[in-house]
Amino acid sequence: MFDLSTNALFMMLLTGLQMGSIYVLIALGLTLIFGTLGVVNFAHGALYLVAIYLAVSINDAMGFGFALILVPAILFVLGVAMERGLIQYFYNRPHTDQILVTFGLAIVIQEVLKWFFGANNIPFAIPSWGNGIIMMHEWFPFLEGFVVYPKWRLILVVVSIITVAAVFALLHLTTFGLVIRAGMRDPEMLQFLGVNINRRFMIVFGLGSLIAGVAGVFGGPVTQVSPEVGMHLLVPSFLVVVIGGMGSLSGAVLAGVLIGMAQSFTAHDINLSTIIVYLITVIVLLVRPRGLLGAKGVFE
Amino acid sequence: MKMQQGFFERNRSVFIFALIALTMPFWFPLIGGYSGLDTKIMVFCIFVVGFDLLLGYTGYLSFGHAAFFGIAAYTTGLMLKGFSDNIIPAIIVAVIVSTLVSVVIGLLTLKRTGIYFSILTLAFAEMFHSMAMAMLQQWTGGENGLTGMPTPMLFSIKMQGDAVFYFITFVAILMFYVAKRIERSPVGLMMRAIKCNQTRLEYTGINARKYKLLTFVISAAYAALAGALMVVYEPFVGHEFLGWHQSGEIVIMSVIGGVGTLVGPMLGAAFMLYFENVLSVDLGEQWLLVLGMIFMVVVIFMPGGFMEAVSRLQARFTQK
Repeated sequence: MFDLSTNALFMMLLTGLQMGSIYVLIALGLTLIFGTLGVVNFAHGALYLVAIYLAVSINDAMGFGFALILVPAILFVLGVAMERGLIQYFYNRPHTDQILVTFGLAIVIQEVLKWFFGANNIPFAIPSWGNGIIMMHEWFPFLEGFVVYPKWRLILVVVSIITVAAVFALLHLTTFGLVIRAGMRDPEMLQFLGVNINRRFMIVFGLGSLIAGVAGVFGGPVTQVSPEVGMHLLVPSFLVVVIGGMGSLSGAVLAGVLIGMAQSFTAHDINLSTIIVYLITVIVLLVRPRGLLGAKGVFE
Repeated sequence: MKMQQGFFERNRSVFIFALIALTMPFWFPLIGGYSGLDTKIMVFCIFVVGFDLLLGYTGYLSFGHAAFFGIAAYTTGLMLKGFSDNIIPAIIVAVIVSTLVSVVIGLLTLKRTGIYFSILTLAFAEMFHSMAMAMLQQWTGGENGLTGMPTPMLFSIKMQGDAVFYFITFVAILMFYVAKRIERSPVGLMMRAIKCNQTRLEYTGINARKYKLLTFVISAAYAALAGALMVVYEPFVGHEFLGWHQSGEIVIMSVIGGVGTLVGPMLGAAFMLYFENVLSVDLGEQWLLVLGMIFMVVVIFMPGGFMEAVSRLQARFTQK
């Protein structure tokens, strides 16, 4: 057993939270789209890819402030366009067709970005206010000695918490959210009640894409900016959605943090850390096939 | 006499395939294909035929068949290196190992519906990929791949050039015939029933899970055989063999060709490899982009792939 001091434990928890933040942000969009539209979006990683490349370009050209506002906005428009232009024709087709077409789209987006920006990693300059480190021992008196953490990674955690809170507030405190939640339960009934569900589906897709945009702006410096990142993040994010329960937002948050923690706590052992995510997936599937917080009757 | 005619009639597509495949060394260079690419096409024909049994007949879309291909390839490589340069024991052990792995993965992934299945197969393949890159590095060679195999031998025949082509083509024809037999068998009927309406099938008292697992394992065995033959064709195993690119390629081949037809995916495999290796010279770096677009167009407008195009054209001509 390794020696577990208060400091080490604190750092592991923090790192786990930070790793989980990215998964949560990407899985949130995935599960939102899946829960409402029933579409498994294999192109979600590609949307994240678009976001980080846009963020780098806008950040270099106009500064971080513009990137922060423009990237999620552009991603929202892109998501809406994608839903109107492509996904809506696939609602009545088999799920495999939806997976195939979004997979094709993911390849096309990835290759276009590779064409424009090259296959290599592009440096993402963090704005000056986000650079540097934070003296954690000044904030948390129980830590012994000198403990520091990169500032940007803490900002990422805070942004994730705010995003999750905003999505929950939108879904649980507004009428729009009420309709969306009703749509997740029973879209057919909602249409009988005269609600134009298609327009809302379109907005939900845009929202999922917007969250990927937020993830790209803040996650880009942490996950690197290269064409492989999209697919690389998509697999663990899918697992987060599966572990949390397909279509369950709180499940995605819980599972995202769980996976982040698991990776952080096994980081000292390369053999264990490469398979821990899959190990957890297998255990969860065996014990709770529906996922941790999966609702009964959702795509059984 | 009548029996023989029946046999020929029933297996017309196998004979046509055999004719086209065996004459390949003569006509393939004429359309720009280099020698060796025809062998690779045959390897992937085996892969996609098995994959089509799963995707085309039961409707289960696996994004992780690279796992079985790669595991078999690594096993073959290690067998050639450490046991004997004879390919027969290497192939047999590789297919057995890979098939056993597929039983475990099948049991885990087939617990849920199609969507879960796609995601989970992708995840398991990625697991094997990262294992090959990290914890099994000393056996797999990690990033550099597995090299240093002796020239594969079929007893006393060196597996190079024409010999390897005819050997692999022979196996491909045989496996296509086996797939055709499976298609016509009661198991094939069950596969189609699963795709059609699994719940209804279960109401008739049939254990659908048993047939799903069986199909999954059969298709994994095909993938494993292809993986083993890939190493016989070219004594090298790269970690990409296990990666999602490989799984994705198989999906693209099958869909472009037309799933559920067995012939279609082989057509797709030939098209894609030809496209990747011959036509890509004119397209340069962007060949994958063009291929992705072709794939999307096929999925959107022609879900039946090339085979649908063929039957549409046929229908048009016979009507006139």
